[in-house]
Amino acid sequence: VKELEIKYGTSATKGLSEAEAAARLQRDGPNALRPPRGTPGLVRFGRQLAGGLQCLMWVAAAICLIAYGVQRGQGDRGSSDNLYLAVALIAVVVVTGCFGYYQEFKSTNIIASFRNLVPQQATVVRAGQTLQVNAAELVLGDLVEIKGGDRVPADIRVLAAQGCKVDNSSLTGESEPQTRSPECTHESHLETRNIAFFSTMCLEGTATGLVIGTGERTVIGRIASLASGVGNEKTPIAVEIEHFVDIIAGLAVFFGATFFLVAMLIGYPLLRAAVFFMAIVVAYVPEGLLATVTVCLSLTAKRLARRNCVVKNLEAVETLGSTSVICSDKTGTLTQNRMAVAHLWLDGQVLAADTTEDQSGEAFEQRSASWPLLSQVITLCNRAQFQPGQEGVPVAQRDVIGDASESALLKFAEVTSGPVAAARGRFPKVAELPFNSSNKFQVSVHEAGPQQLLVLKGAPERVLERCRGYLREGEEHPLDPEWRRSLEGACLELGGRGERVLGFCARWLPPGSVAAGTPPEALAEVATGLCFAGLVSLIDPPRATVPQAVRKCRTAGIRVIMVTGDHPVTAKAIAAAVGIISEGSETPEDVATRLHLPLEQVDPRQARARVVTGSELAALAPGALEELLRTHPEMVFARTSPQQKLLIVESCQRLGAIVAVTGDGVNDSPALKKADIGVAMGIAGSDAAKQAADMILLDDNFASIVTGVEQGRLIFDNLKKSIAYTLTKNIPELAPYLVYITASVPLPLGCITILFIELCTDIFPSVSLAYERAESDIMHLRPRDPRRDRLVNEPLAAYSYFQIGVIQSLAGFTDYFVAMAQEGWWPLLVLGLRPRWEDAHEQELQDSYGQQWTFAQRRYQQYTCYTVFFISIEVCQIADVLIRKTRRLSLLQQGLFRYTWVCIGCFLCYCPGMPNVFNFMFQWWLVPMPFGLLILVYDEIRKLGVRRHPGKTHLGTPWIPGTHLGTPGPHLGTPGGTWNSPGTHLGTPGPHLGTPGTHLGTPGPLPPPLDSIPSPHPPQIKAQVTRPGVCRCLLLVERPKNPKRSPRNHQKVTKKRKTLNT
Amino acid sequence: MARDKEKRSCGQVVAEWRAFLWDPRTRQFLGRTGSSWGLILLFYLVFYGFLAGLFALTMWVMLQSVDPHVPKYQDRLLTPGLMIRPCAEGLDVTFNVTQSHTWEQHVRALHQFLEPYNDSVQAARNAACPAGRYNEQPDDAVPNYPKRACRFERSRLGPCAGLGPHGDYGYGSGRPCVLVKVNRVINFFPGKNKSINIVCAAKGHSATTHEEDAALLGPLNLFPPNGTIDLMYFPYYGKRVHVNYTQPVVAVQFSNATANVDHHVECRLNAAGLRTDDERDKFAGRVAFRLRINRE
Repeated sequence: VKELEIKYGTSATKGLSEAEAAARLQRDGPNALRPPRGTPGLVRFGRQLAGGLQCLMWVAAAICLIAYGVQRGQGDRGSSDNLYLAVALIAVVVVTGCFGYYQEFKSTNIIASFRNLVPQQATVVRAGQTLQVNAAELVLGDLVEIKGGDRVPADIRVLAAQGCKVDNSSLTGESEPQTRSPECTHESHLETRNIAFFSTMCLEGTATGLVIGTGERTVIGRIASLASGVGNEKTPIAVEIEHFVDIIAGLAVFFGATFFLVAMLIGYPLLRAAVFFMAIVVAYVPEGLLATVTVCLSLTAKRLARRNCVVKNLEAVETLGSTSVICSDKTGTLTQNRMAVAHLWLDGQVLAADTTEDQSGEAFEQRSASWPLLSQVITLCNRAQFQPGQEGVPVAQRDVIGDASESALLKFAEVTSGPVAAARGRFPKVAELPFNSSNKFQVSVHEAGPQQLLVLKGAPERVLERCRGYLREGEEHPLDPEWRRSLEGACLELGGRGERVLGFCARWLPPGSVAAGTPPEALAEVATGLCFAGLVSLIDPPRATVPQAVRKCRTAGIRVIMVTGDHPVTAKAIAAAVGIISEGSETPEDVATRLHLPLEQVDPRQARARVVTGSELAALAPGALEELLRTHPEMVFARTSPQQKLLIVESCQRLGAIVAVTGDGVNDSPALKKADIGVAMGIAGSDAAKQAADMILLDDNFASIVTGVEQGRLIFDNLKKSIAYTLTKNIPELAPYLVYITASVPLPLGCITILFIELCTDIFPSVSLAYERAESDIMHLRPRDPRRDRLVNEPLAAYSYFQIGVIQSLAGFTDYFVAMAQEGWWPLLVLGLRPRWEDAHEQELQDSYGQQWTFAQRRYQQYTCYTVFFISIEVCQIADVLIRKTRRLSLLQQGLFRYTWVCIGCFLCYCPGMPNVFNFMFQWWLVPMPFGLLILVYDEIRKLGVRRHPGKTHLGTPWIPGTHLGTPGPHLGTPGGTWNSPGTHLGTPGPHLGTPGTHLGTPGPLPPPLDSIPSPHPPQIKAQVTRPGVCRCLLLVERPKNPKRSPRNHQKVTKKRKTLNT
Repeated sequence: MARDKEKRSCGQVVAEWRAFLWDPRTRQFLGRTGSSWGLILLFYLVFYGFLAGLFALTMWVMLQSVDPHVPKYQDRLLTPGLMIRPCAEGLDVTFNVTQSHTWEQHVRALHQFLEPYNDSVQAARNAACPAGRYNEQPDDAVPNYPKRACRFERSRLGPCAGLGPHGDYGYGSGRPCVLVKVNRVINFFPGKNKSINIVCAAKGHSATTHEEDAALLGPLNLFPPNGTIDLMYFPYYGKRVHVNYTQPVVAVQFSNATANVDHHVECRLNAAGLRTDDERDKFAGRVAFRLRINRE
């Protein structure tokens, strides 16, 4: 104490003087965590404007403005199209940016609303006077007092304590209250008893201590700054969109350059050709896609919010879908973060109690004759009580005054043997000895009619010391060695499950043995020769929904790893209870016990499961952690520090996994931040965790994560459909311009019309695709491999662009030529007509009938052509949205008009009269219809091919069973449509060998079993595949690079397609 | 993927690209073997061949179904356009009376334009039609029977006919002629059976300037008289059946226009039921041009 006084220049009795405190406050700053550098709104808004697609649009807008400038410079005043286009592009970026910002802002607000805004008060002794000050004004060396119910206002070295217990769960993950006392018990200040940490709760007792750390210099502060030092990873969807932008930009520049050359060869002047080049590049930009993606994501975010998942960052919606590893915290995430009675031991039997949150589980057998006494002891030997006025509240949710174990027992008693208050009323308390750490037991004496009843509970070994007999079938027997053995066995068994075991015993005393007001210390003398009634074990029980959620994650190919700060035994027990360590899998320790070998002789590779503690982790060589993760599919990390949690997440990411981290404590926040997606708990979660997370589960329900995964996968699939749909019309929008340049026809489709399609009519159908239900059971497929299953891959682009898009363009041109011919301009005349057609001085241009047209009349006709082409695109897009509804199933199987959204979308956008600016004629709707039909039929044939030969397109890539049999490399125009084949998820080994046939619900030949496929992959992988059950770890197995591709599959499908087409 | 990219050095990227371009080990070009490329090429050849065939077929069917004589729709041509001759750049008739080279091109153009209107040609090809009514020639039994055209003799244009030894349409004397013609539109019946004519006037920007402009422009002489266009020149039956159709023209002679001044002249087709005030089409039923006669 003296040392401390000197070190901090203070007095352990009087505290600091006011002046000194003020000076130190000046020096060290306020005792508060600097809020994580809240990104200013402007920066966040700026970030909304700087995504991959947004950059593409900015570039396009700049090009438009340049082209406009060039045209103005040439004196071409007529075409302000480029200006409009630039303005529209910028508008789209800004509007979607605002939209995204608004979404983000809303969820930030939800999160902010959690924050406790009441400033914290602290009781401090300064200059010998006790006063209440704002906790932020505490300085080093201040003498503070804390009592039960307070939040510890700073890091405190405890000088004096009376039964002080703190809840460190948010810091270390220990769910049990920790005693605080002045003695130093451990080297590490995290473990020692004489330091209470900032922001932890003092549950009971009182303590006085010196402030040894404030603000950022507290333990919590250091963790928080660790979290803010962790950079954010790019979300997978952002990576996908970047990849997509690469494709788009590549194609745009390729097309632009090609036609630049063509234009130069045809003889256009250089400047004109340059304008063409720019126009083509811009025409390739899918203006509507950004809006579509934003809307799709926010729709899903909304849907998730309805299921109590708040998403802070829109893109995180999808991230959960591609998650392949979930690192979950234990306390408060997998468990309920409260103690509850798990087991009872009476009459030599272990009985399981109901630990579900809502007491919906099965109650245990209460028929034993020993039960009445045990329940009486539980009821009476308990100082906890319900807070008044909670009669209507279910027992489990009632607030209790008392420590965690006692309230667990109180609730247990209330549920199993009726109102506790009444029972206590019947047996008034005469005297009691409260629990303390030296006795490790608690005694109370009650009046029970003619007799007095002495009840005692405590650590089993201490209780046993005071017993003379034991209860069996309601009768007392003297202690015997056999019973002792069975008791010890029970203690070990329950303790081995991570449960805290308490023994209960009682003794009937003659009346008046203990007078009221007997000093508590005297009771210890009386409490001998007792009768042992039974054991009760307590645990922080897993949440009821968790085991099923974990199972679902496994079915979905997601690996769940537990990372906790709690003790390994507890961690392992909970892991086993929730299925993170599955039934039948063993840790090396288990193997050692089974084979009766010392642990050193066991090859850890033999064990599926592994519990690694923080100290073991610290001793590992770099890279060994990855090796561990690779070898053991079921991992539990215990006693880990926040830094180690971070390390684990990083190791998983190095193995190529997309990692989700769930957690609630401050100690989780760095890992939450580092993870691809951090999921924090809304109720139990600390502010730091919520700050660091991307997603917040408002109901703290781990099962919501599964919903999130499902929605994330669905949105990925549906975004794929949406994008395929949106991309298709790019070609019919671009083709007119190309023909305009090369064949010199009057421009068939204008820029404003294109914008109208992109930004008005096509938004609804593409958004409607976001509402599509999953086609196959997506939760039975493996998570997508971010390196192979791209959002937009070359086959998808090729199919959209070079097949469907070309058909659409043809429809447009057919309708265009028909409309021109019917007005008097026959196709052959139209070819090469452009220079004269666009000559503003030419007022008497002859058509095919000899009529003469003024410039304005021709202009009007050109607008008609725009309309005609527009209608053609729309009609084809109706067919397109229908074919995109399903990826494999026939429309007839899926139901043509099953989804009202598609219908509404179609109706809204395609009903004539909606775009009043255009001139419509019914006949123009008829011309493109056969082409729409052609698209439908063509795609049905393609789907038929995919369904008939589900493996065909994908079997060509058999090099790695156990990974996604996606198609590598640029897959230019595989007509089979590999991009949307079930095979992309085929590689599901282990318990759910992926048979697309079953998911598809269509009879079709199943692909050969995976391990029968000849594979040139490294042998050890294959060895693992053949061992069922081990395969989950394959996710993290390195894949051989540059796999050999077999072109055979393309050939087959190509041939098939050919025969079907011709 | 993006993450990996940053880690790779430039040389590796180049090597990867080269391997992507041509991988000698697997004999792959751009990630595919030759046969794979071939098949893809073949597929697209067949696919596009099919589509091209389909397109050609549609076009053929469309051309079969289109009437070769009368277009299906004429809703864009409700008001025929008007045009002048000489059709100078920007409709700007500017010349210097004393410098013949400034107006010789105009004269040449008018000569060329009026060539088919020569009386001899007209007499040989076309019929004399009864004046004052439409020259309707219904297809009685024979569809698309060739139609006869009515005569429009050059001599009707009087001093603007450009006949005689001088034949300079008044350009040499500072009294230039400008011809106004109406665009051909099939089955166009202007004027609702009442006579139609061309009216020309100075185009002022306000009422006062209008009068001043008119004064500066001086009197206009129109040929045929009053600028009348006879109804017998309508309707037009299309270039297939109405081969020798001669477009009626009206000549405007500026007999006393002030020299060295810009004159803005507008001519309109005055016919019952014909709108000539379309804001968007400055040439629908009207034409405006600039005239400047320079003298030294």
